[in-house]
Amino acid sequence: MTTTTVEVHEAGDAALRIVAATGDRERDWQTVHALAGWLDSSGMEGIHGAVPTYDSLLVEFDAHLTSARQVRAIVLMAMRQIDFVGATSRAPQQFEVPVAYGGEFGPDLERVADHEGLDVEEIIRLHTAKSYVIRCLGAPAGSPMMDGPDFPLPVPRLKDPRISVPAGAVSVAGRQAVIAPASAPGGWCVIGQTPLTLLDASREPLVPYLPGDVLRFRRISAEDFTRYDGQPLEVSL
Amino acid sequence: MTGTLLVQQGGHCVVTDLGRVRGPRYGLPVNGALDQYSARAANILVGNKDNEPLLEITALDVRLRSTTDILISVTGASLTLTVGGRECPQWEPVSVAAGETISIRTMTGGLRAYLAIHGSVETPSLLGSCAPDTVVGFGHRLMEGDSLTTRRSVRPIRQPYFDLPLFRLGLTRPGISTHPVIDVTDGPDIEEFGETAQKLFTGTYTVGDRSNHIGLRLRGDLPERQLTSEVLSRGVPVGAVEVPSRDELLVLHRGRGVTAGYPVMAVVTSLSLDALAQARPGHLVTFRHTTVAEASANYRSAMRELDKLRTRVGTVFGLLGLESDTSESETRQLAGSQSARGKEHPSPDPSMNSTRNIDVKHNNAS
Repeated sequence: MTTTTVEVHEAGDAALRIVAATGDRERDWQTVHALAGWLDSSGMEGIHGAVPTYDSLLVEFDAHLTSARQVRAIVLMAMRQIDFVGATSRAPQQFEVPVAYGGEFGPDLERVADHEGLDVEEIIRLHTAKSYVIRCLGAPAGSPMMDGPDFPLPVPRLKDPRISVPAGAVSVAGRQAVIAPASAPGGWCVIGQTPLTLLDASREPLVPYLPGDVLRFRRISAEDFTRYDGQPLEVSL
Repeated sequence: MTGTLLVQQGGHCVVTDLGRVRGPRYGLPVNGALDQYSARAANILVGNKDNEPLLEITALDVRLRSTTDILISVTGASLTLTVGGRECPQWEPVSVAAGETISIRTMTGGLRAYLAIHGSVETPSLLGSCAPDTVVGFGHRLMEGDSLTTRRSVRPIRQPYFDLPLFRLGLTRPGISTHPVIDVTDGPDIEEFGETAQKLFTGTYTVGDRSNHIGLRLRGDLPERQLTSEVLSRGVPVGAVEVPSRDELLVLHRGRGVTAGYPVMAVVTSLSLDALAQARPGHLVTFRHTTVAEASANYRSAMRELDKLRTRVGTVFGLLGLESDTSESETRQLAGSQSARGKEHPSPDPSMNSTRNIDVKHNNAS
């Protein structure tokens, strides 16, 4: 049994930021998600919930019912249990996401290709080449946040973020990749768009995937885009 | 008995509650009433649980007509409240007779008011909350001609002789200033700003026009990040103070995107977030440094004020034969619990309680 190191930082009177510092990215990610799962299922009084991302976790709480000091103690206790029992793992679900690249669907595709020193076809090939692990659900509205495609260079964010990026936009920035479930402002480079609907506000969770699930992109034509338009994203068999 | 609230003038008014605390884990902002203290107080004053649906009224005039007798309270920004043409106090329960119009006009000295109704209103919920979410496209913004179903009717409670206010529940109202002092604690990334972080406490900032429920944009002397490395997306707390551009300071409020990649220099305390909810574009803001221990102590002290109010309301409503949800632990847990709202209890018939009503009137008048 080894002990996982976490750093606990104050983040106001109603939140703590926990950062895993194992020295291994994969293990950091597993740690913060295991901790989030533990906290969500613990039903600890006053703890609202946890937002795990890559190597960090935001724990929000009610400062009247509990305190930063108590939550810190709970987190450290949870870490000892997680280290002892090990993170529970769930069989990942698989998703296939059809994407129309470039043109009106991906206005930044050529910019990304120029920046990477590759042609557009090579960018699309690299983007569809790998399976992506969904690392966390982010803003806006449960976006699946993933490690980026194997481009040679990190992708810079737009200097002037767009006021509105449509639902279904498939974007990259830095070493990250994402799909937008809802229309929102955005500063990431949009290289394509999926015709599928990710978000359904009438069910819980609102999106069909969870962190740890695996997603692949498949190239489709503009005609196919119309054919799929509005269908829900579902687990592929 | 259920009734209907007809919207005669919608202004900028939404049905909300204390927020979607189960949202952030799914990537949804918490949202909910921006001035939490005023929203809790409004619900407590009408004997509701803190987290019941209520109306958040921003800036503009609102008029509503009730088809049944109801009991309401209005808290938050100072304004002119009239019911059936009579001017009525804020921060106290107010009776509205069937057919009367509730009019909220000339909001001054603040930006957001809260109107709670005894028994609350029917409204759809998402992940256990009715709070609007503009990104997902969920929520109810009142438009002229809309109607809301009220869950309980309360026979008018009036002082019999001079129509004096019946209730004097004596809650400490938060002062609303056009130049609030905002308490912040050190953010987890304060070191990335080096010495420039101190600028936050030496300058005065002006609330910008593009401020909203997602965040306030403030102009002034800006701290500068000393590093250029990329930050991985991570959860950001409500109240996070960030410097995303060279033009403005950004203070995130309850509509904030749950994850972001900007360093968090400072975090506004829970109570000061309520004060920021009342800041209008053009208002000045000064920041003051505090510690988490001190901020938590102040927050608990404010919540104890509400606990006392809840007890007084419980006593008065008990004498009037009105229902009230005065169990504070149950109330609090609701805000954070996994389960949705509690079961509705059947309303007592108000006509059964006339004798007790008179007793209270007597006590109050003496």
